Order: sequence, then C-alpha cells, then structure tokens
Amino acid sequence: MNDLYLAAVINTTFRYTTPVLFAALGSLFCTKAAVFNVALEGQLLAASFVAIVANYYTNNAFISLLAGVGAGAFIAWIVAVFQIKWKVRDMVVGTAMNLLVQSVTAFLMQIIFGSRGTVQGFGMVPLTKINPTFLKFSPFLYRMFEDLSTIDYLGYIVAIIIFIYFYKTVSGFHHLSVGISGTAADSLGINSQRIQIRAVVISGILCGFGGVVHAMGNVTVFAENMTSGRGFIAMGAASMAQSHSLVAIASSLFFGTMLSLSKTLQGYINSYFTEAIPYLCTVLAITIYGVIISIQKRRAKKIL
Amino acid sequence: MDEFKKRKLVDDVASPLIAILAGLLVGAIVMLLTGTDPLHAYGEMFTKSFFKPYYLAETLVRSAPIMLSGVAAAVAWRAGYINLGMQGQMCVGGLVATVMALYLPIDSWWGTVLCFAGGMTAAALFALIPTYLDYKFNASLIITTLMLNYAINHVTNYFVAYPMRDPAGDGMAQQSIQIAKSMRFFRFSNKNAMNSSVFVAVLVVLLMYFVFTKTKFGYESKITGLNKHFAQYGGIKSMKTMFQTMALSGALSGFAACIEIFGVRYRYVNSMFSSTGYAWTGLMAMLIAGYNPLLTLVYSIFLAGLNIGGTALQRTVGVPMQIADIIQCCITLFVSVRILHEFKQMQANKTPARVGGKKGGTT
Repeated sequence: MNDLYLAAVINTTFRYTTPVLFAALGSLFCTKAAVFNVALEGQLLAASFVAIVANYYTNNAFISLLAGVGAGAFIAWIVAVFQIKWKVRDMVVGTAMNLLVQSVTAFLMQIIFGSRGTVQGFGMVPLTKINPTFLKFSPFLYRMFEDLSTIDYLGYIVAIIIFIYFYKTVSGFHHLSVGISGTAADSLGINSQRIQIRAVVISGILCGFGGVVHAMGNVTVFAENMTSGRGFIAMGAASMAQSHSLVAIASSLFFGTMLSLSKTLQGYINSYFTEAIPYLCTVLAITIYGVIISIQKRRAKKIL
Repeated sequence: MDEFKKRKLVDDVASPLIAILAGLLVGAIVMLLTGTDPLHAYGEMFTKSFFKPYYLAETLVRSAPIMLSGVAAAVAWRAGYINLGMQGQMCVGGLVATVMALYLPIDSWWGTVLCFAGGMTAAALFALIPTYLDYKFNASLIITTLMLNYAINHVTNYFVAYPMRDPAGDGMAQQSIQIAKSMRFFRFSNKNAMNSSVFVAVLVVLLMYFVFTKTKFGYESKITGLNKHFAQYGGIKSMKTMFQTMALSGALSGFAACIEIFGVRYRYVNSMFSSTGYAWTGLMAMLIAGYNPLLTLVYSIFLAGLNIGGTALQRTVGVPMQIADIIQCCITLFVSVRILHEFKQMQANKTPARVGGKKGGTT
C-alpha cells in the first residue's frame, strides 16, 4: 500500500463522512429539543432523489441543491406536524415516513425516468469541486483534499456554528431549555412546541445537504434506497457524541472511515462481508460507548 | 355492553376504516397526477387481489409471512421493546432452516418440523444479541436491530452467492438448490399457489392472541409496555420479560421466514426478505391493528391484497406497483393520528369557554 493510495482512502472517507455528519447534526439538533427524530433516513433519501430530479430537468447544481434541501425540510415538516402537533409516537411516524419516502421515490423514479435500479447520466452535473492548488507541493496532501465539494467543508463549519448557537446565543439557550424540560420552558414564556417544530425542520434542512452530497458529491447518481441505513448510522453517531456537535465530527469521521473501508477493502475481502462492515461497526461502536458510559457512572458512584 | 365499551369498539373499528379510505384517496390523487383513471385502476387492483380465485390464493399466501412478522413485531412493541429487526431475524431463520433441509439427512413432515424448530431457534438467538447489548450496555435496541438487518442480509446473500449456490440455472440467479419435495407444504391444486402453510400461519396467530390475552406472560409484557416502573414495582422481572418477549419476537420472525421458504419458494433466494419487505408490511399491519393479533391478521390480508393488486396494476395499467406501498404507509400514518379522536378533540375544544379563554398557540 503506497502513500497515494492511503491519501485516496482518506479522500473517500471525507466524502462518506459528509452525509453522516449532516444527518448526525440534524439528529442531535432534535435531541437537544427533546425530539427523537427517526425519519432522518427518509429526509436524506428524499433530498437525494429531489436533487437528482431537479438536476435532470435543469442541469444546474445550485438549483438541485436548493431543491434537495427543500425536499428534506418538507419531509421534516410533515414529521414535525405528526410528531409534535398531533403527538403521534416518534417510532410510528419515523418508520412510516421512512417507508413512505422509500416507496414514493421508487414510484416517481419509474414515472420520471422510466426505470428501476439506478439513474445516471442525462448530462447531470455534480456539485462544484474545490481543488486545493496551494497544496500542490505535497502530492499526498493534494490527493487527500482533491475534488471535495464545497458542501463537504460546509459540514464541519455547520458543526461549529451549531456549537456556537447552543452555548453562546439566547435562542440556543431557549432551545436547550426546551430539551431539558418543555413544561418548565413553557412556564417561562418560551413556546416549546414552536421550538421543537423548528428543530425538526432544521434537521430536515441539514439532512437535505447530506442527501444532496450523497447523490451529487462524487458520481451524480440515484439508486433505489441508496441511503441504505445512513440515517440510522447517523443516529448512532449522534448518540455516541452525546449530542455534542463538535464530538459528532469525530464520531461521524469514524463511521465515514468504516463506510470508506467497506468500499476499499473489497479488493481483499469478499464484498458481501465488507458491505456489512459499517453496520456491524455501528452496533459495536454504540456498545463500546455504552460500556464506557457505564464505567464512568460506576466511578462517579465510587467518588460519591 | 356498556357505553364505554361500545364507544371504544366504534373507535377501534371506525378509525382504521377512515384511515383506509383516506389512504385510498391519497392513492387516487397520486394516480390522477400520473394520468391514470383511479376508479378503473382500483377496480383492476381489487379484482386481481381478492375477487378472482387465482389472485385470492396469491394474496392469502403472501399474507402468511406478513401476519406472522406483524405479530412478531406486536409481541415486542407492546412490551415497549422496539424491535425493527424482523427482517434480519427472518434472514437468519430462513437460511438456517434451508441449510438444515438441504444438508441434514431428514425428510417428510418431521424433517419440516425439525427445520422449523432450527430456524426459529436461530432467529430467536439472533434477536437476543441486540437485546443483550441493550440490557447490558444500554445500546439502543432501535439502532442495533435495524443495523443488523443490513449486515445479516449481506452475509446471508454471501452464502447463496458462493457455498450454497445452485449450479443449475442461468448464472444470474443467486439461489440455493430446492428442498426435497417431501418436506414442502401441501398444495391443494396445481392451478394456484394456495397451500397448507397459510392455515398453519393463521393457527399460530390465533395462538398468539391467546398468549397475549390469557396468559401470565402476555399480561406481564403488556404491563411492562404500559409502565416499566409499575411493572417492576408489581414484582415483574423486567430482564426476564425483555429476553422472553424478544426471543418470542425473533422466533415468530423465523417462523414467518420458514413459512415462506417451505410453502412458496422452496429455496433461499438472494435478498428474498429485504426486497419483498414482508417485515415492514407486517409492521404496518400491526400498527394499524394496534398490536391486536386478530386485527393484525385481517389487515395483513388486506395489505397483502394491496401488494398483489399493485403488481397486477403494474402489468396491466402501467402504474408502478409501489403505489401499494404508498397507500399502506399513508394508512399507517393516518391511523396513527387517530383522525376520529383528533376531530372529536377539535369539536370539544370549540366550547365557548375554551374559545374565550384561550389566546391561541399552545394547547
């Protein structure tokens, strides 16, 4: 394995991290307002699909991005209305919504493109790529950051913005207070319901970015059910980060690495097993995380 | 029958009916948008799912694994343990049963029984993995069960793609060889797919109704689902209930998989449980039924009919068959809101006292 190959693997890792990171940020944004959003998967998939459809008709990356983000937000809004306004159980809304998006995208795919499976070509354009020419002096670093899109970098910036929002602004403070106790926040004149709905819609916008990158970041393609559990992987990432947006970067990078390994190891191990790696690692990771937390709790008890 | 019971019955029957009508309405709107006549399409859909013997047989056969996985989900969900891994448990159960049927020196009906036992045990043990992780390490059951679905689907596909692959056939099909004829379920005629597995499935669902309502285990799991702390206070061991419910849920999923393999397919086919989505349809059926096994049975047949009708619709009218899934998801969503309940609430809120005193916004 030479250096450039390693750089290429790291490059793929960045690409795979972005959708997970965005969805994880969306997940923790909801969790911080005491909303358990299970429909992340659906939000991602809807965004991917609508972005590709917009791309097919306009061949314009920016319009596709807007359309994808809008679709994510729209699905999230429906989820918010059901879950928060009508008080339907989160699991029921989430599962039904994920399945609904899955079937609607498969349905529309056949109506619009007349095919099942994958959609590719049609002069569709990918997202704008940034090439760090100032890194040309080192081929390794250059390869690492080659051809990443603007949205890939945006993910890390958004994580920092969310951190600042939560801990440095009044509005973010209200958001956190709703997460700790909705009724207490209500009694102080904060409209907790509105904040929760807003949180879910923002998670939809974030997932929208993730979904668009997933469909248009590398090869511009849509495949039936192409998010394949990334929404749930992101939930794992968010819970491992204990809903802290900066830690979420680290946990998302971990899952990004696993997703990238599942592709790059295909040359060495049978692809059926490598495909299973990210999912098994998610199970393993949240288990290890649980062990660490329980040890911490035990220690805390001893000190007391 | 007293007034309260009567009102509850009306709610239980009317809410799903309204939701089903609303779901069909959404389907009609979707069809209109794609330029199909919804009345014609629905006519086609229901004739080719319930009103012709061939298609009715298809529907009933299709409903068997759906109702079983629905009841499997209901077992876990009503006890408060969100099992989303029915699909993965079906994969494990199905594969183990197929391996036993193909490579062990067994045949005839007792061979089938052995394979069922093996498949169900394997699926139950597989369901206990995430349960143990949740109990011991607090790893969210929702995420782990769902992640294992994807993982195990790839792993089981490996077996039919390499070691167990049927060498005959056109190199494209990734499937195992067929199980012995003597171990298959009895087919009533050569004209349609109807076979005795459907009756076995219905019997098991009825048995589960008995378990849910008349046994100590059913009571304990229900109370645990309603209020874990109250259950513990009342002397119910939460750990025991958790492992029992999840094992039963897994075993039922495995049973569903065996029914499909020994009754219809006779072999393990690549992605046979992930592409058909039995587990998810079953989950929706049990959500519409509100965890009730008998109603799950009824709605499973209805949803299976939608799927079969949807497939026919794709062939004849040209509407993609996912229209059935869309309708199913919409029905589930509408039932979950309990439209009737919301409407009554809205009427109740309109009393002068409420309207006068409220400033709007939060309720």
